[in-house]
Amino acid sequence: MNQHLSSEQLSNYLMGEATLEETAHARACPSCGRELARLESSLALFRGAVRRWSGAVVRMRLANPDDHLARLLPPQSLERPWYSSLVENIQELISPPKLPPLEVTSRPIAVKEIWGQYGRQKRSWALSTAFQVVVVALLFTVFSSKAVQQAVKETVSLVAPVDVSDFKPKLQKMQGGGGGGDRSPLPAPKGKLPKPALRQFTPPVVVPQNMQPKLAMDPSIIAPPDVALPQVNLPNYGDPLAKLGPPSNGPGSGAGIGSGSGGGVGAGKGGGVGAGEGGGFGGGVFHVGGGVTAPILVYKVEPEYSEEARKAKFQGTVVLYVEVDTTGKAINPRVVRSLGLGLDEKAIEAVRKWKFKPGLKDGKPVTVAATIEVNFRLL
Amino acid sequence: MRMHTRMQTALVSKAPAQDTPEDDSWSTELQDFDLLVKRHRPRIFRFLLASLRDRELAENLTQDCFVRAYRARAQFRGAAQAGTWLMQIAANLLRDHQGSSRAQFWRRVLRTGVDPADLRDWVPDRHGSPEQLASAKEQVQAIWKTVAGLSERQRTVFLLRFVEDLNLLEIAAVTGMKEGTVKTHLFRALEAVRARLEEGK
Repeated sequence: MNQHLSSEQLSNYLMGEATLEETAHARACPSCGRELARLESSLALFRGAVRRWSGAVVRMRLANPDDHLARLLPPQSLERPWYSSLVENIQELISPPKLPPLEVTSRPIAVKEIWGQYGRQKRSWALSTAFQVVVVALLFTVFSSKAVQQAVKETVSLVAPVDVSDFKPKLQKMQGGGGGGDRSPLPAPKGKLPKPALRQFTPPVVVPQNMQPKLAMDPSIIAPPDVALPQVNLPNYGDPLAKLGPPSNGPGSGAGIGSGSGGGVGAGKGGGVGAGEGGGFGGGVFHVGGGVTAPILVYKVEPEYSEEARKAKFQGTVVLYVEVDTTGKAINPRVVRSLGLGLDEKAIEAVRKWKFKPGLKDGKPVTVAATIEVNFRLL
Repeated sequence: MRMHTRMQTALVSKAPAQDTPEDDSWSTELQDFDLLVKRHRPRIFRFLLASLRDRELAENLTQDCFVRAYRARAQFRGAAQAGTWLMQIAANLLRDHQGSSRAQFWRRVLRTGVDPADLRDWVPDRHGSPEQLASAKEQVQAIWKTVAGLSERQRTVFLLRFVEDLNLLEIAAVTGMKEGTVKTHLFRALEAVRARLEEGK
């Protein structure tokens, strides 16, 4: 009872949880009472300050509730009748009001730095520099080493160009040829060509045999009339590709000019010009179409399967290019689309044994180019 | 304020549908929500302002508190007083807010010593001499700083006890803690304040 209150008891008292004894002591004991009064007054001050503050804030909010609406309206000073501003402007125009001299009271101040207010930060700068140096050094060391350079070289891949020859437009090249002669010992001389025509009545000659024909015909060679033939500016007929020489029909046979056979000019066969066969100009064989009939297959041998292809159970089609000659045999076979595994050779072997009825031109057999598909099927 | 009027109109428009006998058990306070707001808003706002020290934030949370109260008014069974109930909602909101990251940022700002609200300017000016006024200001400032340094629960309990004048039972109801827990928190808060005041002398 005579003891003063402990700090715990003081707190209890302030919390409103004091026992009757403690309350009585606080009333009786002057020192404890003073202590309590001091604490209570501090807390009361605090409470008062908080309440005052909050009240002021609330009042401030509620003071002018319509302020914001008033702000939406234009200020009174703007609403003036137009004539008053007009009069004012005219007055200003006539006698401009004298303004007081402008006094600059501000003064420029030198500032330390405009780029950032922190200056150069040594730590960051050093770190950044070190990082970049390390990166550059790393790049140099990596790419200067032999092994890496070798690896880079090895990984360069060369792209093989795609074979586009199949897709290129084929040159429209005229093929054909002709030849002739009367078995003279001298080669045919250079000379001009006769007119081209699709039908030949008289072969051209350098040395005419029949001086007075009963029915005179202009000599011609078998070629389309619009074909571009080599032109030689000479009065006599002859082979335009040969050398100049004494007149002769050439060592060939069959009433033309040159070393070939048939009624044409040149080294080939037939009524055209050049080294090929049939009509036209140039070299090569006839193609089906345009008066040339297709050769017809009369005897066929089935191709054998090669051993490898049979084991591999390989199927497909070989496309061959052949020329069917006037006797009906397939010559000069070439593989257009290959299958491999020895099947191409087997196909060629079989096609060589085939027999055709040759292609005809003007009722005469001619050598004709053809493509043959040979199928290999396993049953 | 606009929010409140809207609430009231909503209540009025709903009132005929809810005009059933069991709603009469509600206090007239809750029937007239506007009156409830008028009566309790200053207290709620004061508590939140003292806890948060941010006027805008306190206003927002006060608004939230009444919105929640309005939505949940059907669940209020009159077991507690309306004031305690509202204070409970406010304390919950405060706890939710202080868990958020924004509050942590502001706490860090406060710890660095920049206090946007200085309570010294609001000390009641009825003390005669300037010395007494200065001393009163010093005391208030000391308590204010101590409160800022208290833990969240201690601060809530302290403010409820010494600013809002609630007794321990009411504080327990508001904070949802047991009475013994409330007592412990309050005791520690008080010890801290006392130590600061002693030190100030």
